[in-house]
Amino acid sequence: MSAVLKVEDLAKTFILWEKGLVRKKIRAVESVSFSVEKNEIFGFVGPNGAGKTTTIKMLMGLIFPSAGTIEILGRRLIGHKTVDIEAKRVIGFLPENPYFYDYLTGRELLDFVGRLFGIPGPERQRRIHDLLDLVGLGRAGNLALRKYSKGMLQRIGIAQALINNPELVILDEPMSGLDPIGRKEIRDLIVQLRDQGKTVFFSTHILSDVELICNRVAIVVGGKLRDVGPLDKLLSPRLLHTEVVLETAGERREHRLPPTEDVDAFLLRALSEGHKVISVTPRRESIEDLFVREVEQSDTGMGAQHKLGREARP
Amino acid sequence: MNRVFAIAQNTFREAVRNKVLYALLVFGIGVILFALPLGQMSLSEQARVTRDVGLAGIELFGILISVFIGVNLVHKEIDRKTIYALVPKPLHRYEFIIGKYLGIVATLLLMVAIMSIMLLAVLFAQEAPIESTLIRAITMLFVELMVVTAVAIFFSSFSTPFLSGLFTLVLCVIGLSTDSLRILIKKLPAALQFVAGFALRLLPDLRMFYVSGTMLDGRWISIHQGNYVDWSYVALATAYGMGYATVILLLSMWIFSRRDFI
Ligand SMILES: Nc1ncnc2c1ncn2[C@@H]1O[C@H](COP(=O)(O)OP(=O)(O)OP(=O)(O)O)[C@@H](O)[C@H]1O
Ligand SMILES: [Mg+2]
Repeated sequence: MSAVLKVEDLAKTFILWEKGLVRKKIRAVESVSFSVEKNEIFGFVGPNGAGKTTTIKMLMGLIFPSAGTIEILGRRLIGHKTVDIEAKRVIGFLPENPYFYDYLTGRELLDFVGRLFGIPGPERQRRIHDLLDLVGLGRAGNLALRKYSKGMLQRIGIAQALINNPELVILDEPMSGLDPIGRKEIRDLIVQLRDQGKTVFFSTHILSDVELICNRVAIVVGGKLRDVGPLDKLLSPRLLHTEVVLETAGERREHRLPPTEDVDAFLLRALSEGHKVISVTPRRESIEDLFVREVEQSDTGMGAQHKLGREARP
Repeated sequence: MNRVFAIAQNTFREAVRNKVLYALLVFGIGVILFALPLGQMSLSEQARVTRDVGLAGIELFGILISVFIGVNLVHKEIDRKTIYALVPKPLHRYEFIIGKYLGIVATLLLMVAIMSIMLLAVLFAQEAPIESTLIRAITMLFVELMVVTAVAIFFSSFSTPFLSGLFTLVLCVIGLSTDSLRILIKKLPAALQFVAGFALRLLPDLRMFYVSGTMLDGRWISIHQGNYVDWSYVALATAYGMGYATVILLLSMWIFSRRDFI
């Protein structure tokens, strides 16, 4: 396996002037390192204000890192206030809450983006046609983007990210603002992209999406990377508790057994006392639990930063 | 080069789909048509007044359009975050500035052409002779607008839309009154004279392009006091304008290449 995207010690500090006088530093991202391997779906997870978008903006050369390096397929992306445009050729990018030129139609937008990549005319037209079909906008292609719904904008955003047939697709919150069906469609699309041999890196705070499709995840909280790895390795295999639901004279009751308790003995006792066993569910750590654990840990330790980050957001 | 062209074309498309642009254009044409009844006052002066009012109208609304679209089209990309999708493309940031500039200049070319044709039509209706001097005056006007656009883009590369527009307009006013300012500076104490004179030299001398209204008759147009404008003067003024615009654009590119898009 080879790294498609390699990030080392990436950091970004914003300088804010409070009331124009007091200089305040905000460490939005602090020494984040990870690498994304070829042909995997990599989830970049964190609560609001964690630094996901800031990190992705650095990956895209929109903002310059305060420190650290970014390599894309072995090419150094950012030099001193310069961005390697060859490295950008292999990337497709969907910004967070994408906005596009609302005076263009979907087709015009894709054509414009295709020309930026220097894709020759007939090839461009073919790809535009295929992509509009792929994202389900075949009939909306000639409609002005002004008239698109949020879900349609998200899809045309994905289409424009794919026009150059990128090896690495970077999506910032691709499922945000979509209904459950829309989210499923995007998830299916991401899986489809991986099946085509592409590598997908996406950020989200919707955990179920991560659970369903990601090969590996990175958890970022308060600008710091908490964990990277396959989801099942990050989740503690430890049993949290066992939920037993019993029925007595038509009335159901739930019992929570701590991991130390002998479940078999509990069930035998219950049966002998005339209860009916409805269900027995061992509860292990879910991604939500992991997430909460990480956030709580950071709140007690380096939590100030995270809280500050949350305040700064509406 | 293709990328620059794509951006220029997209900018042009955005501009011509903008309603404010048409409002300004309609006002500009209104001013030119205003010369029609005005000219009726004295028959002999008719053509001269039409030319004066017409050129002044083209200049005023040309400047307003340059400032409006120069500031607006750069800022909108940042405000509306459309630049978030653009910068990640294999594109140098300076190409963005060049493309924007060329697109805006193409729009101005169209606007000035429309207003000029209106002016020619009015002159034609008045049966006034149509002289090549008018072409010279319009050429210089257009170069002036190219400088103003570059200045508008320069301010937009680091400042807010309101301030960018304000600064650009202030610079236009200063640039159009360089000769009165020079007289003012002469009255300053010696030390200040040097500094103020130097500062004035850094600002665009838009009077270079300003065809003095009263001196504009059919055969000659003049600039400043009694210097007639021939094609060699037009070439000189154009070279100055292009040089100035280039330097200002290079500065904008430098600033733009270093900034964060947050
Ligand atoms: N331009 C800026 N100036 C100052 N602070 C900023 C700036 N941009 C972001 N921040 C701060 O950096 C932190 C990370 O923000 P970022 O947008 O990267 O979070 P995120 O993980 O994408 O959150 P969300 O899930 O809400 O999109 C926040 O605390 C935010 O307030
Ligand atoms: Mg974000």
